Amino acid sequence: MLSVLALTSVVLLGIASQCTAISVYTNWEKHVQVGSDVRLSCSFFSWHWTSAEVTFSWSYRPDGAKESVSIFHYTNGAPYIATKGPFRDRLEFVGNPNRRDGSIMIRNVDYNDNGTFTCDAKNPPDIMGHPSNVRLLVFEKVPVQAGVITGAIIGVVLGLLILVVAIYYLMRFLVARRVFSLSMRHGKKGKGKEGSQQRQAGPSK
Amino acid sequence: MLKALAGICFLHLTTIFFLFWATIDDAWWFTRTLYTDLWGKWVMENEDNVWVYMDIPTSYRKDYLQVVQAFAVLSCLFAVFSLCVFIFQLFTLGKGQRFTISGVVQLISCFCIMVALSVYTDHFHRDEKDGWYGWSYIMAWFGWLLTLFTGIMYIILRKRED
Repeated sequence: MLSVLALTSVVLLGIASQCTAISVYTNWEKHVQVGSDVRLSCSFFSWHWTSAEVTFSWSYRPDGAKESVSIFHYTNGAPYIATKGPFRDRLEFVGNPNRRDGSIMIRNVDYNDNGTFTCDAKNPPDIMGHPSNVRLLVFEKVPVQAGVITGAIIGVVLGLLILVVAIYYLMRFLVARRVFSLSMRHGKKGKGKEGSQQRQAGPSK
Repeated sequence: MLKALAGICFLHLTTIFFLFWATIDDAWWFTRTLYTDLWGKWVMENEDNVWVYMDIPTSYRKDYLQVVQAFAVLSCLFAVFSLCVFIFQLFTLGKGQRFTISGVVQLISCFCIMVALSVYTDHFHRDEKDGWYGWSYIMAWFGWLLTLFTGIMYIILRKRED
């Protein structure tokens, strides 16, 4: 019995150590208006505790270019911004590595910033994983997001319908209660009159 | 009596079927190499009978397209809801009374698909000469006709003894 338990635990530990691969999460696309600031978020999932040697690495590949340049690196508890990169004075680290957040903020975006940003996070000893890409799209006027107006119209119409039905049933309930209370009062008045007549008849005898 | 009931249910189910197909299938506008609309477009890039699914182009007026989408979906929802209300009223209505609520909901569905069709006809593909309206568009119009007919029928119909 004990040997079976020991064997099972060894097998499970072996499987668990194979499962460790870090998963990095970013947005798929970011739509932003020219001149505004954009926050590119990056987070990761790892079976290990967040170590003190966690690293975040952002690189940027402009639209149409073949190579990507490194623009940001966080290691040993300190953020480092590439001093010759295209975002040298516009990039700011706004993440919290202890909470597995390696987000960066890019200020005053321009049309030249269209491109793909790649975030790579490593959490030693968990270093095997794929980096994740987020595409930045800069617009003069941010277009309507897919489905926002559709959802709004459907929600409003169904909400109004539910409201109308609820008000109808509420009115019916209130009217029924009023009718009930009026009928109770009529009943009480009738009983009261009979009582006073009896009392008058009593003492005259 | 049962035959009439079966006929009415069949008509209502046909209405729901038309509305759902018109909303789901991307076949409102056709050209020789493309059929499109409401949710995406299918394009045949080379003449090799291979159809590729693509997004609606950004040249479309996004807000009007979403209005058409919303009202088409709403008409489907109200048609299904009116069927449920009709079956409910079948059991709870007294003799000789009319199925007004089912009729009213069905007419709301008719109104919704009418709004969707009007906006679509007025705002999309107005100046495109080499194209024609597809089967989803025509089915939406038949859905409108059937919802109008069944809605009025429900308002006029009286419940007879089962």
